Amino acid sequence: MSGDNAVTDTADKPQMFTETPEEREFELRAAVGAYWSGGRLLIGMFTFLFASLAFAYFYLRSNNAGQLWRPGGITAPTGIGGAIFAVAVASSLLAIYGQGRLRSGSTLDWEVSGWTAVLGGLVAIGLQIWQLTQLPFFPGSSGYASCFIGWAVMNIMLLVSGVYWLETNLALCIRLRRLDAEDGTLATSVGPVAQLFRANVESCTYFWGFMAVVGGLFWVFFYLI
Amino acid sequence: MTIDNAESEGQGVAAEAVIAQPGKEPRHIWRMVAIWLVLSAVLDPLFYILVGPHVPPGTMTSAAKDNQFDFNILLVAALPVFLAVWVYLAYSAVVWRASRKGAPEPVGGAQARTHLGVQVGWIVTTTVIVLGLFAFGTVEVITKAGSGGGEGPNPIWTPTSATILPVQVIAQQWKFTYRYPTFGGFESQQLIVPNNTTIAFHVTSLDVIHGFWAYELSIKADANPQQDNVAYATTRQTGSVTVRCEELCGLWHGAMFNYGKVVSKAAFMAWAKSTEAGTAANTKLLPPFAYTYVPDANGSDGGYYPDNVDPYSNSEVYGAKPAAS
Amino acid sequence: MTVTAERETEVVYPDPTPPVLGGFQGLPQRPGWLSQHLGTAAIGAVLGYLLGHWLGNVVASGYTNIADSGVNAVAITGGLLLGVFGWLLGIGALNYPLAKMVGLELRPDYESTSWTRYLRYTVDHKVVGLQYVIGVLAFLFTGGLLAMGIRTELLSPSSHLFGPGTYIAIVSEHGTIMMMMATSVIVGPLGNWLVPLMIGARRTAFPRVEAFSFWIFTAGYLVILSALFYGGFPTGWTGYAPLQTQAGGGMMSYLVGFAVIGLGMMAAGFNLAVTIINYRAPGMTWSRIPIFVWSILATCALLTLATPTLVAAGFFGILDHTAQTAFFVTEHGGSSFLWENLFWFFGHPEVYIMALPGFGIVFEILPVFTRKPLFAYKVAAAGMVGVALLSFFVWQHHLFQSGINPDMRPLFMLTTELISIPTGFIYLVGLGTLYKAKIKFEVPMLFALALFFNFLIGGITGVFLSDVPVNVTVHGSFFVLAHFHYTIMGGLIFAFFGGLYYWLPKMTGKTMNKKLGQIHFWIMFIFFNLTFFPMFLIGLLGQPRRVFEYAQNLQALNDFSSVSAFILGASFLVFVANFVWSIFIKPTPAPANPWDSLGLEWQTPTPVPYYNFERIPVVLSDPYHYSEENAPAVADLGEEGVLVAAGASSPASVAEDPRPPAQ
Repeated sequence: MSGDNAVTDTADKPQMFTETPEEREFELRAAVGAYWSGGRLLIGMFTFLFASLAFAYFYLRSNNAGQLWRPGGITAPTGIGGAIFAVAVASSLLAIYGQGRLRSGSTLDWEVSGWTAVLGGLVAIGLQIWQLTQLPFFPGSSGYASCFIGWAVMNIMLLVSGVYWLETNLALCIRLRRLDAEDGTLATSVGPVAQLFRANVESCTYFWGFMAVVGGLFWVFFYLI
Repeated sequence: MTIDNAESEGQGVAAEAVIAQPGKEPRHIWRMVAIWLVLSAVLDPLFYILVGPHVPPGTMTSAAKDNQFDFNILLVAALPVFLAVWVYLAYSAVVWRASRKGAPEPVGGAQARTHLGVQVGWIVTTTVIVLGLFAFGTVEVITKAGSGGGEGPNPIWTPTSATILPVQVIAQQWKFTYRYPTFGGFESQQLIVPNNTTIAFHVTSLDVIHGFWAYELSIKADANPQQDNVAYATTRQTGSVTVRCEELCGLWHGAMFNYGKVVSKAAFMAWAKSTEAGTAANTKLLPPFAYTYVPDANGSDGGYYPDNVDPYSNSEVYGAKPAAS
Repeated sequence: MTVTAERETEVVYPDPTPPVLGGFQGLPQRPGWLSQHLGTAAIGAVLGYLLGHWLGNVVASGYTNIADSGVNAVAITGGLLLGVFGWLLGIGALNYPLAKMVGLELRPDYESTSWTRYLRYTVDHKVVGLQYVIGVLAFLFTGGLLAMGIRTELLSPSSHLFGPGTYIAIVSEHGTIMMMMATSVIVGPLGNWLVPLMIGARRTAFPRVEAFSFWIFTAGYLVILSALFYGGFPTGWTGYAPLQTQAGGGMMSYLVGFAVIGLGMMAAGFNLAVTIINYRAPGMTWSRIPIFVWSILATCALLTLATPTLVAAGFFGILDHTAQTAFFVTEHGGSSFLWENLFWFFGHPEVYIMALPGFGIVFEILPVFTRKPLFAYKVAAAGMVGVALLSFFVWQHHLFQSGINPDMRPLFMLTTELISIPTGFIYLVGLGTLYKAKIKFEVPMLFALALFFNFLIGGITGVFLSDVPVNVTVHGSFFVLAHFHYTIMGGLIFAFFGGLYYWLPKMTGKTMNKKLGQIHFWIMFIFFNLTFFPMFLIGLLGQPRRVFEYAQNLQALNDFSSVSAFILGASFLVFVANFVWSIFIKPTPAPANPWDSLGLEWQTPTPVPYYNFERIPVVLSDPYHYSEENAPAVADLGEEGVLVAAGASSPASVAEDPRPPAQ
């Protein structure tokens, strides 16, 4: 599976190297672990990013400078906001469900729910952009308005990251279908490619769960309280 | 206090000497402790007696005197720490340098890697010093009415004095002006305050963040737009005062300074009364005295209005659609 | 080095693609004229900037209050952001992420081992490390030149070399460049280069993320320099809000630049943290990793977790300027305190991002030149982790007089002073290691000892600043300025140069000239202290920061400081001369282990092969067993049972060691 696309001209190449089976096993376990801890660390980074927004939200809200936190209790369009939240959460649940199916051996179920989740993510992004054109306030009209603009843009970034990540896994899955290992499918093989793939999907699904939590929290902040 | 702590630190390190092989090897730790003790015992009082009284910001106000005292205490505490490390560094550079003739080979192994007594001694000593400094600082800031620092709009550590003269400091790009609310709210370009008086400085800004630093008074408070930041000091001597801006506020920040005066109570009353009368016509044109001033976004003249103007009255200007109900 | 074809079990790879990641799919090698390098990145940046600027103008044209303001922040932001995007596209940083979208794993280009790979987007952590060396030195010297400008202006209290606008632009640019540079100055070059070698790894976890961190770092450098073309920005590196909202186009460079550098910091910290957690060689337990790796791990925690706050704050600032939100506009429901809080919530961990790796470096240097084990290893590691944790709880000590939460001041005084306990561990470890040592005053050791001298002054004056009453006297004055120059320059930059003198023989394979190194050290050390120590007095005597006019009676001290600063600046020319002379003009090959260190990174051949270790080593003990009878071996490098021996006391393993003997 590897080494077959050798490049003939090796004169300028860096020195060759060799690997023993133990080393390959070590590298594989390290790479799987890197997906695990990298995924968690990424969530940690996004947590601090959104915590900054939450801090801004509560700071301006409690400050209420010049009674201009949210004049007249005005909110962003609640219907669209609710729809974004619902679509994002549904997509996350689908992604999580799909990963459960992948774990129990069904690549196809994961692919179907994954592509649906990607579609859902794209719909949520579209709704979020549409909502930005439907606001009953101007960005600088209040503290709430400012925080909402910040949230809308950051939410788009978050959704794009999640959709991108899941999409790369789905694309990889399609690409690897032709390369199915002898010992099973991507869901069941113990080969390195399949193991890495599953580790990647697992971290990605975790991230989707995080997206749902963030979406839920800020939905409460912006539309309920 | 500090000497004691530092001494226990020395003893902690000294414990190491016990495990070192005696033999002909000199007792390095005791030598260092001796050098350090002598230096500390000489330099600390020397500093406190000779330099201490001249340490900025002087003694013109109670706040200045307190802060000078605090600085001196910290320096007296810090000097032995400086000396301990420097003596150790210098001693080891001389005695344990590889080029010294007959330098013994270093010994590795477990005893060079860790020493419970030294580690615990070090941690306990530094913790005691740190907690002591924290307690000292906290007592000073609470009992000395915030030590002349800005305490926000609602200070909780206030002077006990029954009579407090309020003076408002209005910072703007790039100068300070002062209003005296108890004298009809007249505005002055110069800071003049009476001697032997507790003064509350209400610091605010009209534009960006400035920092009001009355050096000799030991008053330092950020001037924030639309916030009142209060700092207290009780004047003790007459004299000249330098006022500088200490938060970067734009182009002419570097040249944002002026001078004030602490004068006798009688001279102050005379000045204030006459200035109030002399500027009455101008004072009428000023916005009424307020703790903060909100720029009027609707005003064609770009004037400043007190903060009791309803900000909703011109919400269209901010781009907001009218409130629902 | 040779391919051992006779071993059946080994798989031989003809190219250095990480085997478990790549190999199963790939695109054909590109022809040479399609290859991407610094030149294509520059073209991409220019095109991106023009496109973004044009787009910004189109978008904002309907909004008269922006289009007519004279400074179209939307166009500038669009230009800068798309410029950065074009730079990344041009260097090839986006090839891999884009190929992944169609399920392809790209193999990196390795068409040559010539020096041109330093101008490319590569996944070799050693190449990235050396790229960073040049990058941060360029950053450092740019900031240093600006500092020379500041000191020239301050020669006279009243007659001026620059106008006030130019001066404030120089001050702001100096502060921002130095702060941005300093976050990466050790993690970037030495962290990337050394950490995989120190933990016995053949690669980093996310090599492309690592390369991304360098190239976005360079993009951030260009963005922040671009402020000068917009007339600079007047806020200093702290960017306080109402002034920030008021400022013109240069402010956008500051906001975008800081956000972009923030992304790079997060990327660098992310990659190294994951590498340290997952790629430690067998046997490399948490109590055996070199202390430098501990310091980098603690730094990475801060880089990844504190920096998002900076990015968010910069993002809010950009929105305030472009979308006309009011995050920091008090009149419209925002708050200028919000910026101060967000900025310092990042800003204080940032100073420990700078300090911690410096400690790590001196702890690597001390045992080698004292021939003693590191004293109290666990305390050192605990100190670094403790500093990292506590640094999240101290940020409001920058705001003691600001009027924010005045009743919280004792709490922040407590947390700030508590942080001096784990910082004090650094001295326990350092002084304990010196005890009864055999100190060799090689150039790296001089720098390491200088850190202990300088940082003591910086650290103890920090306690003065944390004390609320004393802070009233010294806040916002030259005292603060002297304090943080003593910690950052006296600590970090001295450690950085010590680290360079120590590891450059390994990194480049060339020996640095010792005489020039000593000259560099002594000039730098003496004139650093002569430059910055008077500033404590200048500050106490009432000179605020960032001013160009000061009291007449302070001229003597200021002039003394300025002249010292010029000589301090000149000392870096000695370093540059040494660097150019020793590496390019008259290179002397360096032995593989010139300092006779036990560190794993020194057990590799020089130059270090692409995959670092011929066999992944098995680590047997920590690398500090100097001067120890019957010391355990450090690692099994996997070649016929050769062990890295700890000292002359274990002759059996030394006799078997085929590597050239240590000097």
